[in-house]
Amino acid sequence: MEKEGQELNETILKMQGITKFIFDSEGIALKNTNVKILENINFDLRRGEVHVLVGENGAGKSTLMKILGGIIPPDEGEIIIDGAPAVFKSAKESKAAGIGFIHQELNLCQNIDIAHNMFLGNEIVKNGVLNMKEMYKRSRELLMSVGFDVNPKTIVRNLSTAQQQLIEIAKAISCNSSIFIMDEPTASLSQNEINILFKLIKEMKSKGISIIYISHRFEELLQIGDRITVLRDGKNSGNMNVSEFNYDELVNMMVGRTLGKMHVCTHVPQETEILRVENLKISKRTLPLSITVKKGEIVGLGGLVGSGRTELAQSIYGARQFPSGDIFYMGSKIRKPSPRSSVQKGIAYLSEDRKLDGLVMEMDICKNVTLTYLDRFFKKKIIFKSRETGIAQKQIDDLHIMCRSMYQLVNTLSGGNQQKVVLAKWISEMPVLLILDEPTRGIDINAKAEIYRLMDKLASQGVAILMISSEMPELIGMSDRIYVMCAGSISDEINKSEGFTQERILQGTLK
Amino acid sequence: MEFIIKKKSILLVGIAAIALLIAGSFIPYFYSANNLLNIIRQSSVVAICAVGVTMVIIVLGIDLSVGGIISFSAMVCGTLMKSGTNIFICILAGAAVGLAFGLFNGVMVAKLGVPPFITTLVVGQVAAGLALVLSNGGSIGGFPESYVFLGNGSFLGMPVSNYIMFVFVALGSLFMAKTKMGNRIYALGGNEMVVKQEGINTKKIKIIVYGISGLCAACGGILLSAQLDTVHPIQGEPYLLDTNAACVIGGVSLMGGEGKIYLAFVGAMVIGLVRNALNMLGMHPFYQNVIIGAIIIIVVAVSVWNKNKNIKESKTF
Amino acid sequence: MSVSTKTINRTSSVNQFFRRFVKNNGAIVIFVIIFGFALLFVKNFASAQNMLIIIKQSAVPVIACIGMTMVLMTGGIDLSFGYNIGFTSIVAGLLIKTMGAPVWLGILAALTAGAAIGLGNGILVDKVNVPAFITTLGTGYIVLGAAQIVSKGNTINKLPKNFLAVGQTPVGVFNTTILIAIAVAVIFYIILQRSTYGRALSAFGYNKRASFVSGVATSKIHISVYVISGFMAAMTGILLTIRVNCAQPDLGGGDYTFQIITAAIIGGASLFGGKGTIVGSVFGVLIIKVIENCINLAGVQYFLFQAVLGIVILFAIVFESIKNKKL
Repeated sequence: MEKEGQELNETILKMQGITKFIFDSEGIALKNTNVKILENINFDLRRGEVHVLVGENGAGKSTLMKILGGIIPPDEGEIIIDGAPAVFKSAKESKAAGIGFIHQELNLCQNIDIAHNMFLGNEIVKNGVLNMKEMYKRSRELLMSVGFDVNPKTIVRNLSTAQQQLIEIAKAISCNSSIFIMDEPTASLSQNEINILFKLIKEMKSKGISIIYISHRFEELLQIGDRITVLRDGKNSGNMNVSEFNYDELVNMMVGRTLGKMHVCTHVPQETEILRVENLKISKRTLPLSITVKKGEIVGLGGLVGSGRTELAQSIYGARQFPSGDIFYMGSKIRKPSPRSSVQKGIAYLSEDRKLDGLVMEMDICKNVTLTYLDRFFKKKIIFKSRETGIAQKQIDDLHIMCRSMYQLVNTLSGGNQQKVVLAKWISEMPVLLILDEPTRGIDINAKAEIYRLMDKLASQGVAILMISSEMPELIGMSDRIYVMCAGSISDEINKSEGFTQERILQGTLK
Repeated sequence: MEFIIKKKSILLVGIAAIALLIAGSFIPYFYSANNLLNIIRQSSVVAICAVGVTMVIIVLGIDLSVGGIISFSAMVCGTLMKSGTNIFICILAGAAVGLAFGLFNGVMVAKLGVPPFITTLVVGQVAAGLALVLSNGGSIGGFPESYVFLGNGSFLGMPVSNYIMFVFVALGSLFMAKTKMGNRIYALGGNEMVVKQEGINTKKIKIIVYGISGLCAACGGILLSAQLDTVHPIQGEPYLLDTNAACVIGGVSLMGGEGKIYLAFVGAMVIGLVRNALNMLGMHPFYQNVIIGAIIIIVVAVSVWNKNKNIKESKTF
Repeated sequence: MSVSTKTINRTSSVNQFFRRFVKNNGAIVIFVIIFGFALLFVKNFASAQNMLIIIKQSAVPVIACIGMTMVLMTGGIDLSFGYNIGFTSIVAGLLIKTMGAPVWLGILAALTAGAAIGLGNGILVDKVNVPAFITTLGTGYIVLGAAQIVSKGNTINKLPKNFLAVGQTPVGVFNTTILIAIAVAVIFYIILQRSTYGRALSAFGYNKRASFVSGVATSKIHISVYVISGFMAAMTGILLTIRVNCAQPDLGGGDYTFQIITAAIIGGASLFGGKGTIVGSVFGVLIIKVIENCINLAGVQYFLFQAVLGIVILFAIVFESIKNKKL
């Protein structure tokens, strides 16, 4: 519905030349690396439009939005809002500039009621005390304006995700946000709730609010979007008007890249089954799944972030409980999986987040490398220094870990070397089944190539490998077989002989 | 949470009622107005301390310095009184000392990141040690009549102590429920990240909360010395256990973000009631401690169990 | 791409070694400073007899401090320690004197009692997940009450000579208590520095989650440190009982717990979990005992010592936190 007036197609937000190098937990660019998370990104937003931002895992969407939301600073480039340059040093400044960020993880205090949440930081005060009457009244009005009829005295904890989302939107509207960022808003909504949300979005549009909408769901972006911008590997990959939507072209923008040649494949999978998972549900609400991994085989596990791959891996390894299903390892059922028993059986698990649960940052390389198989190296419970240093040195040499000495604390190493230390820990004794969760995330090209070579070597020595990866080239280049996960269950299984294509894998992640 | 709070307060009232009934059937004169008012009077120190400790627990902290601050603040106040200073100034000095210790706790926890239990444990010991130093190891007593009146006198049939306590409880409850700061304190305990994102200075809030706790402990200690007409350098020790027990029984969750001061007040009354009844039945305070220690562990264990259960059920997967 | 090497640049190695030494052995440095200060300024400090007194007084606290240090390494705390001492004292006294049981039985019973209390603490902290300070505060009061109940409030004096001999038999200028303390220190030094258990404990203290995922038996380790602490409390109880020739339910107590915690923290046990050494524990105790000794010699009131102790540990905490923040 065309509105009168000159403002309709006016560009209100421009992000130009945004570049961001790989950063630490504070958003500060790490020195001595050239890994770019974002390179020269251009993005613009018009008044009253829903602009969908699309891209695979790791394409850079959330990093770009974090920059817009003031959470991390850009290394190069600028943001222009309503014609004037804007620099945000904090989330608060971004909000003050009119940007409302609706995150995927809900940003409300679960223990207090709606009104108290909505006015947190901006409490309405009369004579020194809270004007509860006014706060409840205004909350109610705001909630009604987003179509949510609820008692503002309700404690947030008792509301569903969809409802909490509406509250966040209402809160942002009350702060006069004219630009909304919605990050996967429909991820945990029912169809009904999605309809309510879309109705609200259309109303917001008519009031001149612009929305940057991040999503993977093609049907949705057709329903609600006006334009689409695609990011791939940290760069702009193309734009499209929804009115001229072309499925193949969009998929090509998302994944159409020439695959690199650094993946090595000299191993041949054997016939013996090492792992068989039967009808396992990672949570009560998901469908049962089954996978197998053979000796000397590298099985890739693809899927979007949040599709349940890590949960599956942790369930197999025993670091997480699951409601039902059976795990057979080397032919016999695992009764009570636990990390300790898994290690004793020869199962190794390289986790997703090395800082959190991969390495003990305060200990040195040597101690980290020997941690897992300590009992096996030293059956008599006493550690012999010479033996220990021998083990550590072998790993340092084999994996080319760059360090001054093995007594260097691991928190002083680069990301790639840290990852190698974690890997060294798991393969210092040859495992039977090796589970890798994003083994090359955030590390430089050379380290990546070395890890691929190592994986191939291990597989040719008979190690069964289950590799979780969000990187298409890695998934396609290294796997003998690929399972694709979506919403907690397996949506596709592809054999190398059938030919891996990025399009087919992408489809599997989106079902 | 309304539902949970209602459940908890019903449970609490229920326990209190049962305890009252049991005690009443075994002990003569238990229900006399005199005795009941006395129970409240004896529980008032705990209740006042609990006002501050509740707030600290809500922001995911703990205050183990209550005992030491009770002793030292009372010692400061008493020493000044014995040297002839105006009563009001003495009380103010004592309160200020408690406030200072509390603020120090807050700075250690908020700015330096020291775990609260260590900070407050140590500060409490320092305060206790200073009380000994100040009094040279002995006690002081024999305070002016007007001071003792605060602890032992009556006004319109109710002990003055009780009025003082009610003022604290009322102020505390109103503060938490009706002020900007109160809202932010609850929010902090619920989700610190969100509060920070609003640009609110969470460190300042924590420092203030610990300061209030120190202040309450000091006032409790001063009231205690007025009740006993004595300051003994270790007289605050037993109050650490009882204050925390009162909060825990009153439904203040150690997981943070939840707790009502008026319920902690009920918790204090329950403890006072239990102790009074057990005293009258001839049970030695040491044995009473066994029971109270066990109660704390059980209540906390149950609440932790519940919370873990809820977390397991609500993960997306 | 060049491969890693392990040789360190010669000229900076001495510098690095020195810096490392101070960082990891702060307690020794502080001890040397305080000891030096005492030698110079405190009358009657520098005599062989006085040194012996200090050593004798440090023996039992060293044993206690080792137990507490291990608990602190896991990021926990044992507030029931002092009360455990009184309880085990009574257990030993009752069995040996009142019921006439053989000495070895009394000792065994007391050690088992202490370990059992520790086990209770460990299970509540690890399996039920109750925070350590609340758990041990609660069990502390329970144990205190139990000690009172079992002893009926009485102390047990004039213990049999063969029991006293366990701790008081002279060995050269020292006695058996000191030997026991040395043995405990050596054994636990080996355990912490050289055994797989010690390594796993250290990793657990620094990063529980990473240790768990790496296959370390975290539950067992977590519970075991409380058992060890309880066992050490029992040893402390037995040896203190021997020293004062009297089994009392209020032996040890809250003040003792606090002194031990102070010694552990001054000795370098990290407030945040992970770091803790036997050497640190030993020197932490020595530092406190030297300060106590000086205060006695100078004729200053005892409670001044308590206040000074509190302030010393305050400094230690502040210092440790600032160091931690900088990391």
